[in-house]
Amino acid sequence: MQTVTITLDGREVSGYPGMTILELARESGVNIPTLCHDPHLTPIGACRVCLVEDERTGAMLASCVAPIAAGMVINTNSSRVMDHRKNIVKLMLSSHPDSCLVCDKGNRCELRQIAADMGIGLVEFQRIPQMATIQEVNPFLERDLSKCILCAKCIRACQELVVEGAIDYFQRGFGTRPATWNNVPLENSECTFCGTCVALCPTGALTEREKLYRGTTKTTVETTCPFCGCGCSICLEVKDDYVVRVTPAKDSPVNKGTLCVKGSYGCDFIHSQDRLTKPLVKYNGNFEAVSWEEALGLVAARFKKIKGEYGSSSLAVLGSSKCTNEENYLLQRFARCVLGTNNVDNGSRLYSSASRVGLGSSIGFSGTTNDLDDLEQSEVIMVIGADPVSSAPAAGYAIKRAAKYKGAKLILIDPRRTKLASFAQLWLRPKVGTDVALMNGLAKVILDEGLLDEESIARRTDNFEAFCRNLEMYSLEYVKEITGVPTEEIAMAARLYAKASRAAIVYGTGITQYMTGTEGVKALANLALLTGNSRHGGGGIYALQRENNAQGACDMGTLPDFLPRYQRVADSGARRKFEQRWGVSLPGDRGLTALEIVEQAREGKIKGVYIVGENPALSFPDSGLIAEILASLDFLVVQDMFLTETARLANVVLPAASFAEKEGTFTNFEGRVQKVRKAIEPLGESLPDGEIILRLAERMGAPMPYSSPQQVMEELDELVPLREDVGYAESERRRSIYGGQLLKDFARFCPVEYVPQARTNGDYPFTLLTGVTLFHLGTGSRTSRASRLRKFSSQAFVEIGEFDAEKLGVNHGDKVKVISPVAELTSAVTITDTLPQGTVFMPLSFPDNPVTRLFSISLDPEAKTPSLKACHVRIERIEPNG
Amino acid sequence: MDEVKIAAEADLTRINEIVAEYSEEKWALIPLLQRIQNEVGYIPPQSVPIIASAVGLFPSQVQGVISFYAQLYTEPRGRNVIRVCRGTACHVRGGKTILKLVKQHVGLEEGETTPDLEYTLETVACIGVCALAPNIVVGDRVYGHMNPKKVEQLFKKSGG
Repeated sequence: MQTVTITLDGREVSGYPGMTILELARESGVNIPTLCHDPHLTPIGACRVCLVEDERTGAMLASCVAPIAAGMVINTNSSRVMDHRKNIVKLMLSSHPDSCLVCDKGNRCELRQIAADMGIGLVEFQRIPQMATIQEVNPFLERDLSKCILCAKCIRACQELVVEGAIDYFQRGFGTRPATWNNVPLENSECTFCGTCVALCPTGALTEREKLYRGTTKTTVETTCPFCGCGCSICLEVKDDYVVRVTPAKDSPVNKGTLCVKGSYGCDFIHSQDRLTKPLVKYNGNFEAVSWEEALGLVAARFKKIKGEYGSSSLAVLGSSKCTNEENYLLQRFARCVLGTNNVDNGSRLYSSASRVGLGSSIGFSGTTNDLDDLEQSEVIMVIGADPVSSAPAAGYAIKRAAKYKGAKLILIDPRRTKLASFAQLWLRPKVGTDVALMNGLAKVILDEGLLDEESIARRTDNFEAFCRNLEMYSLEYVKEITGVPTEEIAMAARLYAKASRAAIVYGTGITQYMTGTEGVKALANLALLTGNSRHGGGGIYALQRENNAQGACDMGTLPDFLPRYQRVADSGARRKFEQRWGVSLPGDRGLTALEIVEQAREGKIKGVYIVGENPALSFPDSGLIAEILASLDFLVVQDMFLTETARLANVVLPAASFAEKEGTFTNFEGRVQKVRKAIEPLGESLPDGEIILRLAERMGAPMPYSSPQQVMEELDELVPLREDVGYAESERRRSIYGGQLLKDFARFCPVEYVPQARTNGDYPFTLLTGVTLFHLGTGSRTSRASRLRKFSSQAFVEIGEFDAEKLGVNHGDKVKVISPVAELTSAVTITDTLPQGTVFMPLSFPDNPVTRLFSISLDPEAKTPSLKACHVRIERIEPNG
Repeated sequence: MDEVKIAAEADLTRINEIVAEYSEEKWALIPLLQRIQNEVGYIPPQSVPIIASAVGLFPSQVQGVISFYAQLYTEPRGRNVIRVCRGTACHVRGGKTILKLVKQHVGLEEGETTPDLEYTLETVACIGVCALAPNIVVGDRVYGHMNPKKVEQLFKKSGG
């Protein structure tokens, strides 16, 4: 490769063409101070602090934007450079308040640091008037523009990384400042409070509001965010065993220096007053704090008794898509070896089992095929049944970046107008629940117009003929009739997707949480297979996950039909490997899935349940009924950080430690295995989940001899080595072949049929859609205990379209009853223009208004995922005095 | 009030038509803003999101450009823009008094517009015809050698 050689401070160094002087200097170990430069942002040369001099021409160059040229003789610290640089910094200081003593940025201020490094004392220049502080009421961000140095890091972060564009420079000259559109407070703007700008601001202009600590902490621990499935790397700043601040990790390949509002400002649930600090045992209907000794003794005795009286199959374990991989491994071993049952499942059953089963049987992987970088490089991105901007912000940012700056064409398929709609080249609005028909329609167009990748189909797939036969009936007209999407739009989407050399499909719970979720996933996989987009290195399929370790919990075998790394329990050979290692015989029958456990409990067949970090009394459909069933169990143990709605029903509650208090790994939706590091000691007497499981196993007389999380992973690697051929060289991303069904790099077309869903009727004329909001997650057990998230967004709401609202005679803020055949809720109305007529929307994750209560229990026949995305409801206005 | 509303809506309709011609052309932001201002007289803030989505920018970015250039306005301007010169020559020859008198006659402070949209009052640093100082410009026409009487006549005449 061609190189360019320059002289840098008297030394010859070489770089590649196009490199800036600053980049080469940093690479060569020469320090040039900067204020407006960040490797994730487009350099703009705004602050001029990085000035250097070219000795040949005498020119002063901003090194962050000046590319190297052969023969340059660059001085970075000659007296001329230093004079200029000092003057520039002094000019900044002359318009900067002298409030350093009381400024929250303290010694983290980069301007102060640079001034100090250059020995700048008092500034002799005339003072320039400063901007006033902006009055805002949001609990996340504080703007004091008197300290703004106009470096535009916040502006570029907002536009280039997060692609929200809430702020830009406003006005000119001395009046210039970053401002929102119409100069409104952030809470009235597009700002999502992701905190990326705060993390980048070099001065005290942007700071965290309602902060726990003002100074600089001694300890910073890099770990993985515990909220959604993206798995952003975060830095926990710790002061006196207290997590006082969370910032994005700059070098993470997932979040690239960004975060979302939950990651930045939601982690204070760690120190919530509600944290359980002692084991609780219910005596006569009241919880009493007891010792670990007593609590574990009781649990062990009761589980043993139930096992003795009713057999192992009367016990069940519900594990956690929030706990670490190692803890999930221990939990499934506990269920299988100690309790002796395969009745073990995890919370991802509620939202992503369809991905596992659907993708497993078609492409042979249990989830996402490629990583976020690949997604960002795609030519076409089809987002269907997902609102990643809210549910998986880091993925949302990547999609927006691709669409806005990298020329990717976005096809959005969603009945709701989500934020991505404004980035979409094509937005299809199918009727709710008709995605399978639409996907088949797209496949048919691709087939009919010969846009398929024949070579890839011939070499890497089978069952193509059956697939084609099945498509015959899905003519454009037929698909239009079912989905309501105009035929030309269907054809356009098909062509756009098929003609791109790298086309990605991103989907979420809008596919998987239907009764036909598995079919939907297979239909998407078929599209990818048809066009050669299912393989790594091009396009790909991205199955978004709702929770931090949904992928990992499944990989670790917290499933009723799989041992770790998708070894089938029915396969005696696979079982034998584990049996030999663990010295027990393992049950070979498929166990019960989450919802089946509850059903069997209702029939009295399940007597004892051990729930770790899940909250079925809120998260399961018909949650009112679920709570009743759980309350009626002979024995219920709940292990959690909080006294959740489920924990309140338990006989024994075991206090678990948060993610910040333990070691291990989470696997994000890409399949990236990332470290979770301990930042603080467990609160009170709480213990990490893994530790509790180990202690419990010991009390039950079947100790599991692991002394560290690493040991657990080493054992797994020994028992089921990861196959080299899964296609991922980086050790970070690990993917197991699913159930040994398919050969390497081979896939199978799975013909799927559209099954009409129940229609709305006179009694229940509205279709209710559910989804997440940016500010909360899961059942809200953590986010509702994060003080700032709760303050900003505490009330559930029901979104109703303008037309429907008028018909119902309701106004914004009115209270209405939302009534399904199963239950009813009361909620305030938000009028919106994002919904098609006859459709209303309610967010999940508000514990006081659990929308899951409205759903009846109906399961996907293959994945056993309950339908939780759409149901039929009636809306009744509550008369103010009635 | 209703008339103003109707006029604003008519403006938006026209702006939509203009914007449609420039869709997806990021380079076209400034020509587009200029054209809207030429036709509508100003750039209504409500039109910023429409402009932004047409040229693939964020509303905050379009606002940034509008607020940067002195030639672009976000409020309606009078049919007659009065520019009173405050250049050195005009100042020496009594420009300050002329400005005071104009303010009295039209009842405006600098940068303001009459409610009936007849006049907008501005000052400029120099218009380059110092020989005629003190000067004012109304619309495209320069009025030189201004004195109190001429100011009175000028605004009586065109003010009706």
